[in-house]
Amino acid sequence: MAALIRGLRAGRALRGLGGVAVQGTVSLQCSNVRRGFHRAALLRLASDSKSDTSVPPPSYHEVHTAGESSSSSAQGESSEDAQPNTSFQDQSGEHGEDYETEEQLQARILTAALEFVPQHGWTVEAIAAAAETLGLSSASTGMFNNGAGDLVLHFVAQCNAQLAETLAEQNNQVQLGQSEAKKTAEFLKDAVETRLRMLIPYIDTWPQAMSILLLPHNIPDSLKHLSTMVDDIWYYAGDRSTDVNWYTRRAALTGIYNTTELVMVQDSSPDFEETWAFLDNRIKDVVNMANTAKQVQATGEAVVQGLMGAAITVTTQKMIQFPERNILALTIMSCLYFSDYMKEKCLACLSFT
Amino acid sequence: LTYARRGYVVLPPTSDEEEKAMLHRMMRVDHAGEYGANRIYAGQMAVLGRTQISPLIQEMWDQEKQHLRKFNEILAENRVRPTLLLPLWNIAGFALGAGSALLGKEGAMACTVAVEESISEHYNSQIRTLMEKDPEKYTELLQLIKEFRDDEMEHHDQLIIEILVFALPFYVLLTHDPSLLQVPGYQLMKAIIQVGCKAAIYISERL
Repeated sequence: MAALIRGLRAGRALRGLGGVAVQGTVSLQCSNVRRGFHRAALLRLASDSKSDTSVPPPSYHEVHTAGESSSSSAQGESSEDAQPNTSFQDQSGEHGEDYETEEQLQARILTAALEFVPQHGWTVEAIAAAAETLGLSSASTGMFNNGAGDLVLHFVAQCNAQLAETLAEQNNQVQLGQSEAKKTAEFLKDAVETRLRMLIPYIDTWPQAMSILLLPHNIPDSLKHLSTMVDDIWYYAGDRSTDVNWYTRRAALTGIYNTTELVMVQDSSPDFEETWAFLDNRIKDVVNMANTAKQVQATGEAVVQGLMGAAITVTTQKMIQFPERNILALTIMSCLYFSDYMKEKCLACLSFT
Repeated sequence: LTYARRGYVVLPPTSDEEEKAMLHRMMRVDHAGEYGANRIYAGQMAVLGRTQISPLIQEMWDQEKQHLRKFNEILAENRVRPTLLLPLWNIAGFALGAGSALLGKEGAMACTVAVEESISEHYNSQIRTLMEKDPEKYTELLQLIKEFRDDEMEHHDQLIIEILVFALPFYVLLTHDPSLLQVPGYQLMKAIIQVGCKAAIYISERL
């Protein structure tokens, strides 16, 4: 199947590649066509194993995509495909030769397919339409075992990569002292808003995408993307916790993100004002809960201190009066110390900010 | 692309998912171990804090705190998930420390000896794994684990001397056998603690 596609591509290479202007790529058509001629004679009959890079696939010759987002989507794509991405691009960090791997091709097709989503929805038709735009046969959709799932996951990975990029850039600015660090609540709000705004062009069809992500065979991948995104946001918000807070914070932010996403697909206000207001309120809730937890902890500590003091006084008295009750008193005291620490730690689990 | 943005502390950058998972697992369990050791010392200090053994325990506790700080840094910068069972190790460690300390200072020291032995063995097996794979690539990580293992062995040896020379010279004189195993009850305690540590390591690696 892959060989067939490459044969078709070889034919089209001679006609010059129909300006695949994906993310502003530079086309080196002349040299490519020459090299395409040379290599078109050799049809690659080997199976499409992505890890075989010692023999460059000779039957076609594509303009290599220099766009950052497509390389990041290739990364995202390769991580979803769960196959070892041992292509040359990892070793040298750049595209040494002017051909692309199958993952890169898939990434290009899927990125192009996003343009057809408003028209066809998150379906294989969109991928087929994109393949035709790129000058490939619509049968190339056979490359995508998961069909629409591949498209949605690719889009999610692309958005997450963009978000990470933005957050890293902001972090850089703060490190260089060019901008002020935001408070946690504001940072989280801005990060979630930035990420959700990427859905706006596809908001009409997004419920379909969400249902695709909830299909059982897609759930592991979609959860992985979600957890990586939430981890990224917290990392750049400055969270360096390594105790149970790590879990509570990420769980809270996941809840906030998911509910806000649901509100967004039903929102019809201008520029989704209601969604952002909802988001603001949710984040305020969580921050309030954290503050309340701190207050409860302080109060609890004071109460426990008082009780402990009373208990120790009583048991010490008993120890003096009744020597034979010492063991009992000792046991009581050690239990009190122990429960004090336990209570402290339980309340500490609720801390958020 | 996201990898380019992530900082790397001690762990070598890698894009191989399996290797990354293995390294993260190792760091997760080591972090859990140091956290537990920290709590054990805290429990011991809570009970024996005002006895003459307390400066020694405090000194060893400070070293463990240093180890924990280093692992916290590694986990945070390498985006490693900490183990879900940390609250459990918190309570269990404190209970073990306090419980052994209630047996007296010999009990506390014997417990620490058993725990340090388990931890050293665990670090040794990690060092072996890394050396088998690729010593060149993991030099920094190997150096760190070796340093921590040497610290733990030092605690272990220090405490053995403490016990045999200062706490139980009578036993040593009688039996001429400078091994703690002769002390009644120690073998049982050591067995329990080592099984517990092995179980903790097994669970923390996976959860």
